[in-house]
Amino acid sequence: MDFKKILIAVDGSENASRAVSYVGDMMAGAPGVQIMLLCIERFPDRDLFPDEASWKTRCTEHRDELHRFLLQARTLLVTKGIADTAISERYVVSCSSPFADRSATRCSFGTSIAQEILAVLKEEEFGTVVVGRRGVSKAEEFLFGSVSNKIIHHAKNCTVWVVA
Amino acid sequence: MSEDGRAVVRELLRHYAPHFPSRHSGRLIEDTSEFMEIGYGDVMALAGKHYLVIRDEAERRFGMEDPKFWVKRCTELESGERKIIKLVFYETFPLRIGDFEIYCHRSPDKEARILNLVRDDLRFMQGQTVRDSKDNNVRILDVVHGKRLDTVVEDIDADHEHYFHHFFPSILEKFIGSCESIAFLHAHGEKHGDIRRDHLWVEYQTGAYRWIDFDYAFDFHENPFGLDIFGLGNILLFVTGKGEHTTHTLKTGGNGQTGSPALTPDDFSLMFPHRLSNLKKLFPYIPTELNNVLLHFSAGSYVFYDTVGEFLDELRPCLQALR
Repeated sequence: MDFKKILIAVDGSENASRAVSYVGDMMAGAPGVQIMLLCIERFPDRDLFPDEASWKTRCTEHRDELHRFLLQARTLLVTKGIADTAISERYVVSCSSPFADRSATRCSFGTSIAQEILAVLKEEEFGTVVVGRRGVSKAEEFLFGSVSNKIIHHAKNCTVWVVA
Repeated sequence: MSEDGRAVVRELLRHYAPHFPSRHSGRLIEDTSEFMEIGYGDVMALAGKHYLVIRDEAERRFGMEDPKFWVKRCTELESGERKIIKLVFYETFPLRIGDFEIYCHRSPDKEARILNLVRDDLRFMQGQTVRDSKDNNVRILDVVHGKRLDTVVEDIDADHEHYFHHFFPSILEKFIGSCESIAFLHAHGEKHGDIRRDHLWVEYQTGAYRWIDFDYAFDFHENPFGLDIFGLGNILLFVTGKGEHTTHTLKTGGNGQTGSPALTPDDFSLMFPHRLSNLKKLFPYIPTELNNVLLHFSAGSYVFYDTVGEFLDELRPCLQALR
């Protein structure tokens, strides 16, 4: 397992920014590093909006935010000393997307981001997976779930970095 | 239409409801958008049928009537059947669960979708969705002739031990069926969204348990079914304990317990720290297997159910153990 082949799961949050920054600091100048920024698109439920138009507007905004974040994350890694050519990105679109690309070969069902991350981790044989963590209470974990906890529990044959 | 269709309404009432006082005869409603203005004596014309409005529905909460102006109690004139008609009302409001505030969205489309999914499945309330003249989603629901499960349980005239041995096994069996019906929703990508003990009804005639009200939507991404599982856990706690056992009832001795409990914070609910989850400390005859299921919802737990299937896998053997 190549532990320098690193998958950073990002979602546009501050926790994800910290995870990217940490990887940049840890791996700057290290030879043979490959980093993939993985972003799983997850749109808000259509049921939360009174009409298609307002839902699409929010989805468009959300997608723009995620793409901006990916660009910023790449820039941050380069600033920290990671070669631009060592960085790749993957953006997994939502299966329930209101846009035309929902027929993409891989799409996210949005029921468990952790499972989607683990699937990419396994397929691409990453040696390290990095996630941010906002720090949840037990009650919050029960109700809302925790991506980082699920990854800690289910990831195999790799190192897990959780940046809190 | 002249006089807002009042002449038509008068004629309909004369024909179908001759005992209805004519002085209360109202308007004919084809566009239900302004639901606040639809009231007693109005008749809604929907999908070729006519519904006489009797009153707004109301929920009794914290001892007070909470009117639901978008939900109308009606009589279908052509059949004489009572119906509940839900009109389009979008709202987003905070819902408090323990220390959390969750934003809840009322979604007529979600409820319509589930009604369609559970058609003829009598584990759920039944109804159909039609469109009014302005294409509003209108849900016409059959009335569940029955009683809330919590009221049924509370009204059983027995002490806890007698209740637990003689009544609880059949309640648990039916409740397991209700959990299976929620698992069915989840398997189809749907959530109930508002699992509370007053949303599970016991039908008078058949004794069947039926879920009502599916129009709540939430955005719980990593654990989409967590709130439903939490609701099932609360109901299980209630039916096992024959009511809620709280720090208050423990102090006042209103539990009818046979044990002498030494309780710690871990014995109480993860979400509601005043509500006892570890019921075996109060009622020692509760089997450990069942109590362990309850403890998954307690503050002391580190392992939670991810799916209703996991919950059921541990609950079904408890029923066997009770028989």
